[in-house]
Amino acid sequence: MGLILCATRGGEASYRTQQAAIALAKEQNDEIAFLYIIDLSFLNKTAAPIVVNIENELDQMGRFFLLMAKERAIEQGVEVRTITRKGIVQEEIINAVLNEGATQVVLGRPAGELSAFQTSSLQTFADEIERETKAITILV
Amino acid sequence: MVNSITILSAPLVSAVNPSSMDGIAVFISVGIFIFVFLTISFHLLHETTAALLGAVTVLLVTYIGGHYNPDLRILTFDDAMMVVDWNVIFLIMGMMILMSILDDTNVFKWLAFRLYSLAKGNAWAIAVSLILLTGITSAFLNDVTAILMLVPLSIQMAAAIGLNPMVIVIPEVLASNIGGAATLIGDPPSTIVGSHIGISFTDYLVNMAPVAIICMIALLVFNWFQYRKDYGDAKRKVSKTLTDQLASDAQISDYVTLRKALIVALLTFIGFFVADIFGQMPVGVVALSGAAFLIVWVKPDMHHMLREVNWTTLLFFIGLFIVVGGMEATGAIEWVAAQVILLAGNSLDKAAVLITWVAGISSGIVANIPFTIAALPVADYLTANIPGGTESRIIYWALILGADFGGNATYLGSAPNIVAVGLLSQAGIRLTFSRFARDGVPVTVLTLIIATIYLLIRY
Repeated sequence: MGLILCATRGGEASYRTQQAAIALAKEQNDEIAFLYIIDLSFLNKTAAPIVVNIENELDQMGRFFLLMAKERAIEQGVEVRTITRKGIVQEEIINAVLNEGATQVVLGRPAGELSAFQTSSLQTFADEIERETKAITILV
Repeated sequence: MVNSITILSAPLVSAVNPSSMDGIAVFISVGIFIFVFLTISFHLLHETTAALLGAVTVLLVTYIGGHYNPDLRILTFDDAMMVVDWNVIFLIMGMMILMSILDDTNVFKWLAFRLYSLAKGNAWAIAVSLILLTGITSAFLNDVTAILMLVPLSIQMAAAIGLNPMVIVIPEVLASNIGGAATLIGDPPSTIVGSHIGISFTDYLVNMAPVAIICMIALLVFNWFQYRKDYGDAKRKVSKTLTDQLASDAQISDYVTLRKALIVALLTFIGFFVADIFGQMPVGVVALSGAAFLIVWVKPDMHHMLREVNWTTLLFFIGLFIVVGGMEATGAIEWVAAQVILLAGNSLDKAAVLITWVAGISSGIVANIPFTIAALPVADYLTANIPGGTESRIIYWALILGADFGGNATYLGSAPNIVAVGLLSQAGIRLTFSRFARDGVPVTVLTLIIATIYLLIRY
């Protein structure tokens, strides 16, 4: 039984990616690990007073999205686990693949204005994951 | 105030002649300001780095350049310390300490979840309650804090009922800028201008809260027309697991600290209202006193507490005050103000309308904090030189409303907008410039029209 790692967030575009990962897991009888990464780099250029524990807020938001993804997977009879990490998205996906021993990685292609990723860099990143982890990377 | 003009003019005469517009110092000070302004507005550097770099350049040009050529003297170190509005700095610092302790208790998320539960899955009711809660929180804490505390939970609630989070988050951001205009401590432009003119918390509230409330109602009406279909299509039933997760994240974490923090916050706000009685005690003193009492009572870990104070914010404001002080000292701002008077034909109403819309449009395109600090000496000049200006203070109100409401037009306009874009991206949603402007521009135009009518009728 292999492990499919699906990096996800919470937008509409993520649901499509999650569904593709769930379908793949069902077909191969694999387990899924949904991964959410907290990236605070958007605060790097503002001088606004950040007195809120924003890492904690985003951790809770991430866990909520992972719970939604988990519910979908369980409804379809797929075994699932969830992971949250903090750091730069690309680096943390690779670290998660290595730590969890994932055999496949599912990433969502950009879907119009709803996506947080750029098309051009995604294929390069997928190649980098395969090179560094040997996990097969699927773009959906 | 006139206050700042008085403070500034005396020491600066020794540095440069403020009425002289032909010195090279004028061009250097304006050049430094434009560099800082554009760097901040287009996020080329961290805002604090840009402001500090500008301030240091002003001082280095004065000392090193001035050593060889007296015409290069812009602002001495002593003058620089005098142009910084320490009331603003201490107010922000005090409120940061109060807010960080209050935030640790989770009270605002608890309140948001109670409102969500009361709405019983009605998307429109959930949106209205979150928008109003954000607006009110922005008025009494500050706009960025309100967004950081409430938007992550709002995104989750929207996702839970199958609603695009943007249809709640964008109006929340717009509400934070509108609500922040209601009090002296809400939006940075309100704090900067309010402190500068030495107005009391109550006087500010009496003058600005009515127009902020009208604009908040206008925002809700706009929001209904814009998103009624989305709200209607949202699902009412949320799974028990998701509801339980929301409820567990929105628990009060520390009732003892909450009780203490609420008592001190209440006393601090009473202090804001009555400060005027005690020899016009500045609001910065009240905020800092509240923070000090709370630290003594709650006894937080002081190292942790000091880390919670966002020093970059304070350095950002200090740097900006010095950069703008440099322009004021060289006479550049006085020249701009004189041109505005010429344009307004010495009419207070025309000048007020001009300031409202120039501030509004500029704040939509570039960051509203440096704009406000730079426009303040212009407002001083207009107020002092147009008949009736000093009595009505209409120019200052126009600047506050223009800068606060104008910050809504694009996501570059003010800090809450940028923070919300980042939070949405963490939820996998890319809020583009044009998508934000689709709501931001009409709301800005609508609120600036309301502000203009309000100013002309009331003053």
